[in-house]
Amino acid sequence: MFNLSELENDALVEIFNIGVGQAASSMSDIVNETVRMSVPSISFMNRTDAGRLLAGPDPAQERICGVSQNYDGAFRTEAILMFPEDKSLEIVRLMVGEAVPLKELTEMEQEAMCEIGNIILNSCVGTLANIFQRELRGSLPRYHLGTSDEILTATSSQDGTVLMLHIDFVVERQQIHGYVAFILGMSALHDLKDQINQYIARAMGQA
Amino acid sequence: MTAKLILIVDDSRVSRMMARQYIANLHEDWQIDEAATGEEALERVQQKVPDLVLMDVNMPGMGGIAAAEQIRAQLPAVPISLLTANVQTATRERASQLGIGFMEKPITEARIAQLIAPLEG
Amino acid sequence: MHAPPDNRLPLLESVLSAVSLGAIVLDGERRIVMWNGWMARHSARSPDEMAGQDFFAVFPELRGHRVDAAIQQALYNNFPSLLSQTLNKAPFPLFARPGVDQERLQQAVEVMPIPVPNAPRHCLIQITDVSLAVGREKLLREQAMVLRSQTFSDGLTGIANRRHFDVAMEKEHRRAKRGGLPLSLLMIDIDNFKAYNDHYGHQKGDQCLIQVSAALAAILKRPGDLMARYGGEEFAIILPETDVDQATLMADALRLRASELAIPHERSSSELRLVTVSIGIATQLSGQPVEIAALIGAADRALYQAKRSGRNRIHARLPD
Repeated sequence: MFNLSELENDALVEIFNIGVGQAASSMSDIVNETVRMSVPSISFMNRTDAGRLLAGPDPAQERICGVSQNYDGAFRTEAILMFPEDKSLEIVRLMVGEAVPLKELTEMEQEAMCEIGNIILNSCVGTLANIFQRELRGSLPRYHLGTSDEILTATSSQDGTVLMLHIDFVVERQQIHGYVAFILGMSALHDLKDQINQYIARAMGQA
Repeated sequence: MTAKLILIVDDSRVSRMMARQYIANLHEDWQIDEAATGEEALERVQQKVPDLVLMDVNMPGMGGIAAAEQIRAQLPAVPISLLTANVQTATRERASQLGIGFMEKPITEARIAQLIAPLEG
Repeated sequence: MHAPPDNRLPLLESVLSAVSLGAIVLDGERRIVMWNGWMARHSARSPDEMAGQDFFAVFPELRGHRVDAAIQQALYNNFPSLLSQTLNKAPFPLFARPGVDQERLQQAVEVMPIPVPNAPRHCLIQITDVSLAVGREKLLREQAMVLRSQTFSDGLTGIANRRHFDVAMEKEHRRAKRGGLPLSLLMIDIDNFKAYNDHYGHQKGDQCLIQVSAALAAILKRPGDLMARYGGEEFAIILPETDVDQATLMADALRLRASELAIPHERSSSELRLVTVSIGIATQLSGQPVEIAALIGAADRALYQAKRSGRNRIHARLPD
């Protein structure tokens, strides 16, 4: 399985923390409440393991809400923000301020989740692109609801490695755990490793 | 100008390395102290009082704001700057209340230069 | 299928003028380079007026917020953004009939990067009127609320129960905080109710509760106002977007209505010998949110004060 050195890992985690930090700032502006987001850790895994990680104790029951966007250009990836179904409802309720059970989750609230995904994913990938000084194109968000396997398969046909970000999301004293998954092919992964090292070298004045 | 001592507090080693490098680019002779947590930062300031503290907000354990509050209480003359990607009203107000500055992440040499400018004067 | 090249530009311009959605294009410096017919019709600002203007000079209130962030994402990062109408209430001043309507159109907004040969990237702001969809959604919600209210109503009086109150209070409190709006809470207690029950029996006591709660609930006019049975003989009324003066007027109307029912009460402490109520009023002022518990506490203390001052009266407090 692909992995990074401790230093490379540290750099990437820091970059993503900057990304979600800026996303939290935007969301805070929308809801007029304090919003905190952080990426405590990242890991690389294959799609099967990713599906298992997201599924929780009862894979058949647990549905996941996912918002995906794909990016291409300097590198290609499918990025998916994921929360267990009940947690994503929590987030929308916290952001929207209304109590609506899942069965009444209408297109409108799916749309709210799409915007949240759009903000978080663009912020993460944007920070990455800026720091690596690369140009990308992005897509508009798509909403998915299903098992983790279904979402991971629906969003990407290519066999890829999943770069999994653990996300902590805090609004109104409620802490919610979620994930952002980046599905990357081999060349994209090596490119990523290269870019991180160049970034570190630039920062150290060595490049 | 005497060489200054800057304390950099951030749980990200790369972040600390970068800040260290940017300061060294501007002032080779200045000294840099590092801490990875709020708790460590408190220990460091006891051992040697810095001329400036750069404090990451988002850290596990005590967290940057709590650590900044304590340092402020113990050493009110030491300038502190919070480092954060998430600049919200609550952060701004808290920083203002404590009488400390903040800087947006990502850290760049230009931003560091701005921060240390008052020390040079 | 193409129109011949020299017809394309006028054709595209006509199409852009005719589409039923708003299209604004900004250049790399955020100057307006396109403002289509739909925008002109719903903003009462013509394309000529808008051409070349700095976007934030025209819409200064949008600076630093979501639309600004989306424009930056498009111009600098080449990423599109979606602004949901759920999270962004009508960001642009657009109306069905500008100059006539007060309420803005409900808007769904997308901001897309637009590559331009030999020039820095531009961005397209696309605005769709979703007022109808939002209206339908509201209707569906109201219907669902009706269904759900059956588990949220008090068995005896039929008005909202304590659980409903708690849920509604959370919601209105957050809404008030978010919108910087005032929120008032009334705590209403039937005076000398225990004595009434003792004297007339519990069946009459129940009837009294039913009559009083129905009469008071009937005074509430707005859909957001909620009266709930808070305790045995205690009721609570949530009045969103209501300041101290308005809440006081309402409380007085309620107090009066209760006494006008002229339900005999031999054991009443007042000379009227009629069923009366005491009301405590607490208001969370606009832009000064407090904890829900603090608001309830203030209303309780106000109610206590009303009782102590002789009952059949109202008293207002602000939360500490």
